[in-house]
Amino acid sequence: MIRKEAISIIVEKMSNQPIISANGFISRDLFDTCDRNSNFYMIGSMGLASSIGLGVALKSTKKKIFVFDGDGNILMNLGSLITIGIIKPKNLVHVIFDNSSHESTGGQPTATNKIQLSKIAKSANYKVFQVKTKNQLTKIFQKIKLIPGPIMLIVKIEKGGVISKRINMEPTKIKNRFINSLKK
Amino acid sequence: MKELTQKQVFDYLFNNGTENFIGVPDSTMKHFIDQGFKKNKILITTREDEAIGIAVGMTLSQSSSLVFMQNAGFANSLSTITSLVQLYKIPMIFLIGWRGFLKNDAPEHTKIGKIQPKLLQALSLQSKIINEKNWKASCDWALKLIKEKKPCALILKRDFID
Repeated sequence: MIRKEAISIIVEKMSNQPIISANGFISRDLFDTCDRNSNFYMIGSMGLASSIGLGVALKSTKKKIFVFDGDGNILMNLGSLITIGIIKPKNLVHVIFDNSSHESTGGQPTATNKIQLSKIAKSANYKVFQVKTKNQLTKIFQKIKLIPGPIMLIVKIEKGGVISKRINMEPTKIKNRFINSLKK
Repeated sequence: MKELTQKQVFDYLFNNGTENFIGVPDSTMKHFIDQGFKKNKILITTREDEAIGIAVGMTLSQSSSLVFMQNAGFANSLSTITSLVQLYKIPMIFLIGWRGFLKNDAPEHTKIGKIQPKLLQALSLQSKIINEKNWKASCDWALKLIKEKKPCALILKRDFID
């Protein structure tokens, strides 16, 4: 399964819950697959998608907030797991698309094939699920819908696929429509 | 800044619409943070850029935020300020403790303390140095900018040696 396939499967299963997506290919794939007002494409500030997601989750408590993160991204901000683990927001689902590489910058390796992110997240009070196939992803998604967070869903993906187009939307427009979507 | 004034600054910002106080502690603003703890309004993060990310999320959910940090942490956060706060035009107040303001402050603060005003200028982040006399007017200024959806910084000088 490549990242874009995984993103398609998850977005199909969701209604209009907010998504905060990490910079690089993750946001580009989400934009290309399913652009919606409730997507916040974080095009800069690498590492901070989960922090932004935490902030939204704490203040928009009636909504279930999804963070679409990458392994490179979360490794830059492991402290975020600590803060989330202390606060334990029930409405936060932290998805990690894990290909053990910085694919957006040329495929350089990350440490997630040597260090188990799942163990780190577990010790930070997350409920952790890990999947490798499309079937597993479809099934686990039904399960996590019913469980209170913080949930980490590690989706092991393959590198590769067609590179999605860049996000050709003004950042302030991304922000304004996301804010309006939270009000609904 | 005196203990009482720091507490007054916290109360004033809190009573005028600032709902969240997120950051990494700095001894320069110890009493400000203590007052926030008393009101159960403080969230301590592991790093300053993380605090900014959380504040951005809260602001997107229409809840006004202040991020506090030492100037060393401000320097750590430059890219987050340019590529998140300023890029998306997200209003928030930065409260920054200015170590290295005194020439005989600890050596690790000397260089960053010296370039602190230049960093703010380079970022085009509007700021005011807050003190015993002007704190209320400075807070009003910051709160007005937040209403205009602009980020800004209040700078607290480290004017004592311990």
